[in-house]
Amino acid sequence: MWGNTGRIIRVDLSRGSIELQSLPEDYYRKYIGGSGLAARVFWEWGNFSIDPLAPEAMLIFMNGPLAGLRLSGASRSSVAGRSPLTGHWGDSSCGGYFAPELKYAGYDGIVITGRAPNPALMLIEDDRVALVDAGDYWGKGIEQVTGGLKKAYGKNYRTLVIGPAGERLVKYAIILNEGHHAFGRAGFGAVMGSKNLKAIVVNAKNKREVSLADPIAFAALRKELNPKIKQALASTVMHENGTAANLEGGVHTGDVPIRNFTSNFWEEMAEALTGSTLTEKYLTHHGACAFCGVACKRVVEVKEGPFAIPKGPGPEYETIVAFGSLMGSMDLAATCKAGRVCNNLGVDTISAGGTIAWAMEAFEKGHLTKEDTDGVELHWGDMETVIDVVLPKIADREGKLGQLLAEGSASAAHQIGQDSIRYAVHGKGLEVPMHDPRGGGHGLALTYAISHRGACHVAYPMLFMEMGACYYPEIGFEFELEPMTDQYKPETAVIAVSLGSIENSACYCQFADREISIPEWVQLFNTVAGYQWDADEMMRAGRRVFYLQRLMNYRYGLTSKDDVLSSRLLEPAEDGAPEGIEINFSAMKEKFYELMNLDPEKGIPSGEALQKCGMGEEASQVW
Amino acid sequence: MEYWKDESEPIKAFVELFQRALHDEELAQGMKKVNQLIWFDYTEDGPNCSFHVDSRGGQTKIGAGKPEEQPDLVMSLSADDAHRSWSNKLNPVMAITRRKIRVKGSATGLLKLATKLKKIAVVYEGVLKDLGWEDKIMK
Repeated sequence: MWGNTGRIIRVDLSRGSIELQSLPEDYYRKYIGGSGLAARVFWEWGNFSIDPLAPEAMLIFMNGPLAGLRLSGASRSSVAGRSPLTGHWGDSSCGGYFAPELKYAGYDGIVITGRAPNPALMLIEDDRVALVDAGDYWGKGIEQVTGGLKKAYGKNYRTLVIGPAGERLVKYAIILNEGHHAFGRAGFGAVMGSKNLKAIVVNAKNKREVSLADPIAFAALRKELNPKIKQALASTVMHENGTAANLEGGVHTGDVPIRNFTSNFWEEMAEALTGSTLTEKYLTHHGACAFCGVACKRVVEVKEGPFAIPKGPGPEYETIVAFGSLMGSMDLAATCKAGRVCNNLGVDTISAGGTIAWAMEAFEKGHLTKEDTDGVELHWGDMETVIDVVLPKIADREGKLGQLLAEGSASAAHQIGQDSIRYAVHGKGLEVPMHDPRGGGHGLALTYAISHRGACHVAYPMLFMEMGACYYPEIGFEFELEPMTDQYKPETAVIAVSLGSIENSACYCQFADREISIPEWVQLFNTVAGYQWDADEMMRAGRRVFYLQRLMNYRYGLTSKDDVLSSRLLEPAEDGAPEGIEINFSAMKEKFYELMNLDPEKGIPSGEALQKCGMGEEASQVW
Repeated sequence: MEYWKDESEPIKAFVELFQRALHDEELAQGMKKVNQLIWFDYTEDGPNCSFHVDSRGGQTKIGAGKPEEQPDLVMSLSADDAHRSWSNKLNPVMAITRRKIRVKGSATGLLKLATKLKKIAVVYEGVLKDLGWEDKIMK
């Protein structure tokens, strides 16, 4: 086998058993790796009726074939399973340093079931895999635990750690690599917590080489791609000013949500929160994922004021908006501190931001009262209360407020009722990221709704396609899209779902891979993994992953009716560039279903469509 | 060229556009924030078809041709696409992706100006009118 190692670690924490297993080779060719391969593994071994936080639930970490190659953007991996936040299939992607180390140690992935009798950590050192007591680390923040693990084992040991929020089963708890890079979405930190698994630590002492199908051709391709990615305009801008580099531009197009998506324009906020302001005021140096020449990560220090923090990981665009404009604040220092606190407690900044913003609106409307909030007043822009009181309460599930908000916005809205679900901004239970599709692009509304994960901007590259950052004539994507219309959006979504499934299964960074053309993608898979694909076959693999994930959600009880958007996003914006423009959502969805051969009731691909993708076995289980 | 008779026409219009923009407080502030020496290079349409804007050090200077100093940023495109761009009829991200615009150097400053394109287009329309080139105005 090329590219992949062909081996996974299978752990049953209840029994303390550890086995090494091989996966059928055609799984890799058909489902690529990462998100797709994890789904196929679960389809084979998982049980769709098990609660995501029950000991029997399955948690899967999976690399892609490109992990460990010295290529900008390729060092990501996926975590997948049934999401405790949404109740259906979910996955999340993470950059950093874990994926290459796991590959060098000789593994493509880790499949975990069971519950350790006592807090434990998994230690992987080449062929030695062990479960180690983690009692000393339990209850502690991620920063302290990561530091402690580095001290105990060595700085070259790569870490995945959960925080107190994961231990207390907060539904949007994260898993953090090296204290900086997050498996952020869908709450897999809570799944780890439910298994009493505080951390996974890996070190490849012998650093196995990745065997490649055509090492010479790959080396030549790598020499072309690395400088091309690094020198691209978007890369230089993001290197300089991070993922929030164009926040200011986003405010002017109406993409940046304000006060729980009630407004699409706030001019003074634009400059206050944009990436160049973060660079000027707080950046100390740049950070990067393994082998990445873009280095878009921020390391920041806020020297004084109520939000002072020492040098350490800085906020990404999503955190800046979630703890900035979404909560009615334009205090950049507050976003730095909020991001740091979320990292240490172990909560997803997008879901935490969305849930707290929802609570602020509920408090303003009187749907939440001081009786519900343990006396805490929730007001737009009051970031000291958010950071010092609300976040710790959520992570500890402390009091009524902590318990309520730890469940996420959709669940909290159902609990308090009073029509508050109308302004819980989510897709399939996952809080919407910080791109409002009314300004960001109507196609994004469609892909938020049809994503297996729930509303997600990186499940598929629709956001980039609508802004004009993609051009793939080889697969028929030559549309010149206008973001705020529905023209060509279903057709674009058909391409986007395959591309996004390829990206998330190959575990490639969606910022770096914008520079990779379709012929180069094909070449990557062929030189690394020897798939001998052409563009059609590669796109078919992407579609296969998309189809499989739809089938999985169907088995969790989801149908066409669940491919919807929160009502707030379907109301015309009240200000800014998208003011008064309605999203033609139903027509886009109907057309997309038709183009993708999805059953209008069940929401799954027809038997014939599945057969065409070589999914006869999967089809037989649902039709 | 679709919109221009010769290479002098676009430079006349674009230099005038930037001169006028300096009299608009919002645009003048926006240019100050760019704080770079930018060369707008349209030489694919003629050797003298270019101009530069120097907003370093708090003062903005505009001149025809290539700057004497090394620019911080070079934007290369056709004079027709530049006309579309200043008319706010060209998606800059799409144009860059499709290599209609080639950029060398840091475009961070330019992102600040991009948010003002709508207003720039209004000034540009006025410039075209005053130069007697109403036929070039894009609707």
